[in-house]
Amino acid sequence: MQAPDDAHLTRDPAVQPLPPAASAVRLTKARQSLASDTHPLAQSEASLPHVPAVTVPIRERRHTPSAAAASLFRSTLTPPASRSASPTPSSLSASSLRSPTLSPSAMTSTTTLPLAGSVFGSLTSGAAASKAQSLVDSAAADNPGDPLGLLLRSFVPHIAVHASDDADGLARDKGFAGGLWELLCPFGERVQGRVVVRDSNGAARSWDGFAVRFVRFGEGIEDPEVSANGQRAAAMIGRQGSASERMLPQVEAVVERHLRFAEEAYVGSPPSPSATPTREGLDDAHATSPYYALYLRRLLSGIPLSSHESFAHPVACVMAISSRNPAPIDALQRLYRETTSQGGRGLPPWVDGDYLRYYVLVHDEENGDITKSMALFDQMKRHFGLHCHLLRLRSTQSAETDDDSIPLPRSDWMTAAEELADIEASDARGDDFEDPTRYIFESDATAIRTFVREMVAQSVVPTMERNVSVWNDQVASRRRGISGRFMSLSKRWTAFGSSSRSGSAGSSGSGSSSNYDAAGFYRADSPEAIMRRLADYAFMLRDWKLAMSTYDLLRTDFQNDRAWKYHAAANEMCALALLIMPQNMSSRTRLETITQMLEQAVYSYHIRCGSLYGAVRCILLALELLRLRDGSGIDEAVRWGVRMLESRMTGPVGEALLRERLAVCYASKFGAGSQAWGSRRRKSALWSVLAAESWVAQAKYVQAQRCLAAARRMYALLPGECGVQSFCAASDFLAHLHERIKMGLAPEVISGQGSTFLGGASGGGQQMQGAGEHVVDEESETLGGKRSRRASLIGPPAGGGAGIETAPLSNMQSAGASRGEGMRDDGFG
Amino acid sequence: MSYYFAIIGTQDNPLFEHEFGTSKQGGDGQARFGDQARHLNQFVLHSSLDIVEEVQWTTGQLYLKVIDKFFTSYISCFMTGGNVKFLLLHQPNATASAPAAGTPGAASTSSASRSSTAVGANPTSPQTEEAIKNFFYEVYDNYVKAIMNPFYKANMEIKSPVFRQRVAAAGRKYL
Repeated sequence: MQAPDDAHLTRDPAVQPLPPAASAVRLTKARQSLASDTHPLAQSEASLPHVPAVTVPIRERRHTPSAAAASLFRSTLTPPASRSASPTPSSLSASSLRSPTLSPSAMTSTTTLPLAGSVFGSLTSGAAASKAQSLVDSAAADNPGDPLGLLLRSFVPHIAVHASDDADGLARDKGFAGGLWELLCPFGERVQGRVVVRDSNGAARSWDGFAVRFVRFGEGIEDPEVSANGQRAAAMIGRQGSASERMLPQVEAVVERHLRFAEEAYVGSPPSPSATPTREGLDDAHATSPYYALYLRRLLSGIPLSSHESFAHPVACVMAISSRNPAPIDALQRLYRETTSQGGRGLPPWVDGDYLRYYVLVHDEENGDITKSMALFDQMKRHFGLHCHLLRLRSTQSAETDDDSIPLPRSDWMTAAEELADIEASDARGDDFEDPTRYIFESDATAIRTFVREMVAQSVVPTMERNVSVWNDQVASRRRGISGRFMSLSKRWTAFGSSSRSGSAGSSGSGSSSNYDAAGFYRADSPEAIMRRLADYAFMLRDWKLAMSTYDLLRTDFQNDRAWKYHAAANEMCALALLIMPQNMSSRTRLETITQMLEQAVYSYHIRCGSLYGAVRCILLALELLRLRDGSGIDEAVRWGVRMLESRMTGPVGEALLRERLAVCYASKFGAGSQAWGSRRRKSALWSVLAAESWVAQAKYVQAQRCLAAARRMYALLPGECGVQSFCAASDFLAHLHERIKMGLAPEVISGQGSTFLGGASGGGQQMQGAGEHVVDEESETLGGKRSRRASLIGPPAGGGAGIETAPLSNMQSAGASRGEGMRDDGFG
Repeated sequence: MSYYFAIIGTQDNPLFEHEFGTSKQGGDGQARFGDQARHLNQFVLHSSLDIVEEVQWTTGQLYLKVIDKFFTSYISCFMTGGNVKFLLLHQPNATASAPAAGTPGAASTSSASRSSTAVGANPTSPQTEEAIKNFFYEVYDNYVKAIMNPFYKANMEIKSPVFRQRVAAAGRKYL
């Protein structure tokens, strides 16, 4: 197994081009970026892609039950230590950030390309070394320790892909069964180079790692609830049918599959010291488990196309035909008609149909005639204007053995449903399941990259900017002035509310006092819907201030109209924008304001609308952002987490992950002075123990072991270094938990003896020692090598009566006393 | 209403532990913690020492009132001069809580319906605070007497049965 080598390599000075201080610097940057006034995001963005965490090839690391299937679970198999995870002050983490499998050449290429950071870009130089490294691995490593990056990558402009049959056929020839959409999808996750965005004041700012999401046209539509205002809540509580409500269980299922895979992989591997899970994430107490990262990512990918928020509404639509098409212009016109409301597949009335159309001609390099395609492309430009692109692709499938082939990763932001389907397909096919990694020609990758970059930088972003400024001038600014306030006031009195509004913006409301349709939505041309779109666009273009102020206006409107889901979403986004904005704002942005908004958002989502998805998303994002605000922010973050646990919004996996996360939250609070007063180490340890408990209940022993180790580390950091061991029931419980994990991790060793081990140090116990030895040994290293006594290996004594002996000044000196001593030194608890 | 009272020494070590239930409103004085709650209470109490260490510097009082909350459990604290802490975990309507997974408080159908003025029905009400304060001061008196024992050393467990009786009596009297 590789882990010892890993450990060795990571400390190898040769592989340590990063001065130890670098990580700390990056760290502080990421933290301050929230506070800095001028470029709130630029710095943290820059710090993001510094170290693209590289996936360790699974086959080397572990004997997996099915090596090919392992690639399905790659996102979580990366050991946390190799992630560019959250900032730890320990100097060790600087070296551990480097993945050991990086060859020196790849290393330089990744370090010298810190900002262009697009792994996309660096691929050309490091292609050979990047077999194991996927195109978007840096995005895969995006960790919830950097919630801002996560937010920026999840709330991105959605671009619908609507391709003709022949264009889809071309993609299918290349091995993409899903058609052109599937081919484009991974490339949207990181647009090459910097993208310049102008905010509402006209100030340009360039962003790295701008992302868009390609979606299939007209998919994932979630209809608004059709019921009268008053009965909405009642009608919706029982309903679980909508797309977003199916999502939570799906996310849980995906994460559960990943966990199960890790568990099987562990059990399948021969017991060796390196394979003990405690090894991983050893230095990095703050690193999040990859499972939590996955959970968040799956939760945020595939935002349904719903009426109450417009993030998933298409900003643009790619209309693609191929050079194979006999009647290209007609085909494009047909595609266009299909995307309008007259066509059969039009979008619902709450989606603005006036999005950008981007026409793409896919040229078949191998069978097509380029002069013909060029002529056709010129014709297209004459017909459809400038938003056109000629995409030249080879039509044959690329194999791994081809010279210029590069692996195309599975999309990192695929939805939970898609990933679940993939995993199930691989299960169904069993062992002969082939590696799902697909390969494309490098020239194709370059062509698509250029296409995406050109489309985003020259068409999509400018269009969004223009829309933002137009809507801001025509709709939102009217509401900001004194007359606008009066208008919103007057809306409450129907008598003159309707007259004033009809003058302001051609409203198509139901004729009563509000634009809120009886069917439960605002039509796309109502001022509320336009303002919501304005705010969402501003949010996606990272103009937090405009977004926040617009959401703020909308909150009251939606409340007056009793449009609760809209109200919840506006509150949620308003709070998030406030949290993202620089901290040293006026007193208005104090924590109470945010808390109040979150309160309303969660209440509206959960109680009024019965939308668990919304509530969970809101709480988790707020928790992550609050965590970055030190001090009371952390307590506040935990309060939200506890609230989520209390109302049981998630399933068991989510609950365990959240408990783990709360432990991390508390661990990130540092105290003052040598005694670290004000830190939350005991609390952190408590949550780690609780997390371990719920992992054990789900038979996820690897995770449980990790949590327990985290708890031990925390207890060892306490001034007395004794943790809860003098509380007898608590330390008994810890010992018991430890036993169960040990038994769970080595089932084949003790399957014969079974539970006899608990009974005492019989034969079973002796055998167990062999397996347990490594575990405990690793742990003693975890504690900084303070305790390397082999005596501590014996583990907790029979019956778990350790606490009695370890109680201070107890006169009970039984035969097990020495064991009790061992246990104390073991840092148990 | 169930109570778990512990005296915590300076090394986070418990010097004395006692569980009891309310004796008001016809309570029988028995604690109604679940099986899970026994160790959980200790964990929770231990973890709230973090908060104690933070809150103790913000006030000149010895009695710190309710300092922490864990699902349905509330923790009140009393500091003694020697950095020994009295911690009282009180849990309204314990029968409803402490489910298997160790997350008390799935549905806290609080006992507030019975009588809102009852001690403990609302853990943060002034009446409850006052009652707990009285309890703490009475225990403190006895504690001081107990540690006056010439054979008592700092951070030693208090095993005196008389002290236990008196704590139980104080619990009956005030809580």
